[in-house]
Amino acid sequence: MTVKYLRVVNRDQCIGCFSCMYACSRMVKNAAGSGKAALRVKAYTGVEGAFSIRVCARCEEPDCAAACPTGALTKAPGGGVRLKKELCISCMACVKACAIGALQWDEEEKRPLPCIHCGQCVKYCPNNVLALCEREEECDRR
Amino acid sequence: MNGAIMHVDLTTGTHRLLDDPELFGEFLGGTAVATELLFRHGDPQGDPLAPESPVIFAIGPFSSLFPVATKTVAMFKSPLSGELGESHAGGRMAMSLHEAGIDALVITGRADTLSYLVIENDSAELKSASTFREQSAAATERILREAEGKSGRKVSILRIGPAGERLSPMACATVDGSRHFGRLGLGAVLGSKNLKAIVISGTRTLPLARPKEFKAVYDTLYDRVVKSKEMKKYHDLGTPANVRPLSLIRGLPTRNFSQGNFEGSEAISGERFAKDFLVQHTACAHCQCGCIHMAELREEFAPYHYSTNRVSYDYELIYAMGSMLSLSSPEDILKLLLFTEKQGWDAISLGCTLAWATESFLHGVLSLDDTGGVSLSFGDCAAYLEVLERMAKGANEFYRDLEKGCAFCAKKRGGLEWAIQYGGVEPGGYMTGENFAVTCLLGVRHSHLDDNGYSIDQNLLNAPKPLEEQVRAQVKEARWRMVLNSLVICLFARGVYDEEIILQGLDALGAQWDAGKLRELAAKALLRKHEWKRLCGFDPAAVVVPDKMYSVQTSTGMIDRESLRKRIHLYLEEMKG
Repeated sequence: MTVKYLRVVNRDQCIGCFSCMYACSRMVKNAAGSGKAALRVKAYTGVEGAFSIRVCARCEEPDCAAACPTGALTKAPGGGVRLKKELCISCMACVKACAIGALQWDEEEKRPLPCIHCGQCVKYCPNNVLALCEREEECDRR
Repeated sequence: MNGAIMHVDLTTGTHRLLDDPELFGEFLGGTAVATELLFRHGDPQGDPLAPESPVIFAIGPFSSLFPVATKTVAMFKSPLSGELGESHAGGRMAMSLHEAGIDALVITGRADTLSYLVIENDSAELKSASTFREQSAAATERILREAEGKSGRKVSILRIGPAGERLSPMACATVDGSRHFGRLGLGAVLGSKNLKAIVISGTRTLPLARPKEFKAVYDTLYDRVVKSKEMKKYHDLGTPANVRPLSLIRGLPTRNFSQGNFEGSEAISGERFAKDFLVQHTACAHCQCGCIHMAELREEFAPYHYSTNRVSYDYELIYAMGSMLSLSSPEDILKLLLFTEKQGWDAISLGCTLAWATESFLHGVLSLDDTGGVSLSFGDCAAYLEVLERMAKGANEFYRDLEKGCAFCAKKRGGLEWAIQYGGVEPGGYMTGENFAVTCLLGVRHSHLDDNGYSIDQNLLNAPKPLEEQVRAQVKEARWRMVLNSLVICLFARGVYDEEIILQGLDALGAQWDAGKLRELAAKALLRKHEWKRLCGFDPAAVVVPDKMYSVQTSTGMIDRESLRKRIHLYLEEMKG
């Protein structure tokens, strides 16, 4: 299986519409709203229009998995993480360990929301901010 | 929808939650539900600024679920018109209300001291705002986003500026970056309640009962939003695209509605703003169009020292602070808008009132004694900035009067014939003819968005139609917008949401609606609003067009008194069905 990488390629084209977050919730989790999204668009206080998009880096040695005390969050083949829900104790250590703030928290289920790099968010971005790359070196980290 | 209604009593600092699925089942949501809640909680004869006077916010069944269903409806008794107060705003408020699980929010009472309300899911807490009293609308957002956004959660922030604290009936309430409940004085009503701001967040998502159907409707809508020509227009140049074309057909109000052709229209056109000042498009939550146009204003405040501010602009703002005041420099317009944004005034009402003051000064109705030595003339931006400074300080009685609107000022000081207002409300920027005059007179909010009057006028230039047909089309549109405003969809997406897709969307959500029931709702909601207006004392036969409007050329010629009388009669008959 080809490993895919979700990347932010045109941050400065983001209009802050949250369409990507809605797409993730809807298409991956079958939930209407944006609360189940595995990525986050952040708006900066007092700086109109400054958005930062935090997506899973698909780390080869994920800090989030390393921080998990129960082995619920583990490294997936090719990088990134997978969650065994039954082992999760809702301690949030994983979310705190993700320095870039990409790993999101499901406030209803009290569990992390690991990104599966499926590209639904890419499909519903109207401004080509996000891209799914086949190889790490294809990703332009602008 | 569960029809969850949160009622906050600011006097006691308590809140309660009530589910009223029957209300939402019958009235859909948004504007129609808010109207019923106004009947339930409001007194049409009461003082709009009394503690018991309610402020109602409502979202609809599509809010935060489908694209561009981004608006929240606010309903209150207007301190500007003295009757139905209704205003709509985008931003993230609809998203946050939905995530908090609140379909309608009813606020009554008055807090002891200046306060702000923090709503998080089903909890509501009143906190002191005394440390940021008189802070600008922009500063208030910065303060609260830091104070209340610590969890990293998405929050929506509604607040008033100093104008709202001073109870100016043209004070708006600002949502998030730069969206507004602009019209009819919601800012003053919140100010009268000692409520500086509302911060809303929640954690709810909605499991999709019928994911396949939901996603199919969503995808159809998404494609229309990102591919349609009409939505692209709102994104590219945005509403300022209309500046030039309207001026070319004598429809751009210039120097207080003296003429519809502005010689400086090229300089303040959408194209010019985009080329020289536009730095970014932004969007309301869940709108892939992104119509918010941010301009950058760079000013030299000392030699080689610059301040930089971002200011949002739109057609109505360019009209109100540009052609109305004969200002043909985008910098000048942006300077006035920045000041207006910080104070939290409604730019349309303010621009019209400044234009009235200018004409009154030029005719000798106002003197230098009134203005404290400021000489007003069209095109003089420095004088207008000085006026705004003095209004903000409440420098004298004249400046305190100015922020009460041109109807109030003209009644007290004269110049009524050129106070351009309808039922106490200053109009949107169209000088297209009789259909728009009827919109201003009979539209439920006296707003240019109540129906398509200005568009009917413009279409007449190419294809004349009998008067009766024009009025019928206008009432039909006014009714249909009751449906869109109940869902609650941004009216910029009115071409995207037709009856068929709306019914499919409601069906995918498991709501029981059909075309007949939708049309029934539309007719009923329009009549209920007029009923409330009449209870407030609004008399459609008594509301008048300012005298000046009968002596100026519009896009479709002169406005004729007899023809207008006929239109009003037909409109009211048609509305009854």
